[in-house]
Amino acid sequence: MARHEVTLDWVGGQTRMIDVDEDETVLAAAQRAGAPLPLPYGCRTGACGTCVGRLLSIEGSEAAGDDGRTAESIDVADAFAYRREPRALKPRHRDDGYVLLCIARPRANSRVAVGSRVQSELVDNPWK
Amino acid sequence: MSDASSGSSEAGPDHEHEHHEHEGPGYATPQAAIEEGDRENLAYVMSLYVGTDVDASDFVAVVDLDPDSETYCEIVDRIEMPEKGDELHHFGWNACSSSCHMEGLERRHLIVPGQRSSRIHVIDTKDRRNPELVEVIEPEEVFEHDLSAPHTVHCVPDGEIMISMLGDADGELPGGFLQLNDDFEIEGRWDPPGEIEMNYDYWYQPRQNVMVSSEWAAPKTYYPGFDLDDVEAGNYGRKLHFWDWEAGTVEQTIDLGEEGLIPLEVRFLHTPESTHGFVGAALSSNVFHFWEDDGEYRAEKVIDFESREHPDWDMPVPALPTDILISMDDRYLFGSNWLHGDIWMYDVSDPSNPRRADSLSIGGTFGEIQEVQGRELAAGPQMIQLSLDGERLYWTTSLFSSWDDQFYPEEAERGSVMLKADVDPRNGTLELDEEFLVDWGELPEGPARAHEIRWPDGDCTSDVWQ
Ligand code: FES
Repeated sequence: MARHEVTLDWVGGQTRMIDVDEDETVLAAAQRAGAPLPLPYGCRTGACGTCVGRLLSIEGSEAAGDDGRTAESIDVADAFAYRREPRALKPRHRDDGYVLLCIARPRANSRVAVGSRVQSELVDNPWK
Repeated sequence: MSDASSGSSEAGPDHEHEHHEHEGPGYATPQAAIEEGDRENLAYVMSLYVGTDVDASDFVAVVDLDPDSETYCEIVDRIEMPEKGDELHHFGWNACSSSCHMEGLERRHLIVPGQRSSRIHVIDTKDRRNPELVEVIEPEEVFEHDLSAPHTVHCVPDGEIMISMLGDADGELPGGFLQLNDDFEIEGRWDPPGEIEMNYDYWYQPRQNVMVSSEWAAPKTYYPGFDLDDVEAGNYGRKLHFWDWEAGTVEQTIDLGEEGLIPLEVRFLHTPESTHGFVGAALSSNVFHFWEDDGEYRAEKVIDFESREHPDWDMPVPALPTDILISMDDRYLFGSNWLHGDIWMYDVSDPSNPRRADSLSIGGTFGEIQEVQGRELAAGPQMIQLSLDGERLYWTTSLFSSWDDQFYPEEAERGSVMLKADVDPRNGTLELDEEFLVDWGELPEGPARAHEIRWPDGDCTSDVWQ
């Protein structure tokens, strides 16, 4: 069984590397590993967006730019295969490297920004 | 009046029978609820950690509301959910006054769904202060009926329970209604699939054989947060559906139009003969009155909250009336403007011409009062609940975890509060009770959000009469 190293990078906090089987989701592996902080989740079916992370880098590729945003060349599909359709992500979110960790299975070593703050990046206050 | 004015809140279901003749749970009429109902000495409040970094499950808080008690305004018990990630939201009773003819049935079990998880919990409140989780219906069982995202729970008159479901098994449209039997097992779908696309809240008036349902959006649309692009794409609701209650089919659909965007809480008057009701259109910030006229339902905008300019916001800020309720005597309509920070009351003695009675400006973006007892308020008033006698109005401040993060990000760090206003129904006035504060910011695991409120013996948003 192939395994990949996924580095979880809590926004404004800790970092932890976990080993994830190819047929396991990042959320399940994090729970199995007892990561230092729990990953937030809700539906576990890719519909609610609670578990969202942001892909920062794949394998040896460069880490994200200074603004912490994903480099444009990073494609989530190179890092993860989805168990089912990531319904809670709009096309623009997918293009920006957001990934639903409850249904994402690793295909490469990667580094992902995680924690509840990633979810709040998805949509902002339209009146402000 | 009741003999239990203070102290004992162990008023079990038998207690009600001391006061009136009928056999089953609840009260014979709305007026009986006002006259025979005890003061609310306890509240059950949906409390949640979903979507935060706090490693804890959502829970139902038991809040002491007895002013003579030493633990007044404290969370005296917590019923924790077995799993994390539920997003407890709305909940309801296994039986209410609509079953007051049913001998042997008790208003005793709370049906507590998880909005995000689609897990449905059953809590036994035989011991009002120390309720117990007794059943869990796992999401997979719900998905088998191609439904997800449970919302409003009402009991139906013969002991069954119906839950509005906002999505299909994948979190997409259409939603529908799930029915549970009195053993808390899924019986199946109540409605033939395809009657409606979007779903949200509902209320029924059995004597008129009518049910009304409103619309939010597909779960995958509203779960991640509010997005103006979705408004433009028509992904949010603006319709009311009027159902044949016996047949479970939609008889009439009213499109409320641009002024009726996101119709959320929907309430019929309590009087079982009435065909009048109200619905709050959150995004358009209006309230619509609906009524039957010659066999057809009609709806008309009767309250319009203007957007307001704020120096720190780029665009005029909508009021966002997210909750409404009708007093048990059908005289007043209360509501909360979550973004503006207002609690309001309108005299609806003439339902087609609501007359503003009073309002309180508290919390939110514009509230004149921004703290209570030195506790800063992190959000506006949201879910409201009124005492049966109409003299005490309570509210909490969380709407939905991802929407809270967008509009009031501080709420995640400070947690919700529950506040109260004293209502004078004679003069139509509201006054903030500065002595009253329940704080979800001080819990051992970390700050939590607080949402819907219920009283143990029936309230203004769950009881229906046959
Ligand atoms: S937990 Fe809901 S999308 Fe992952």
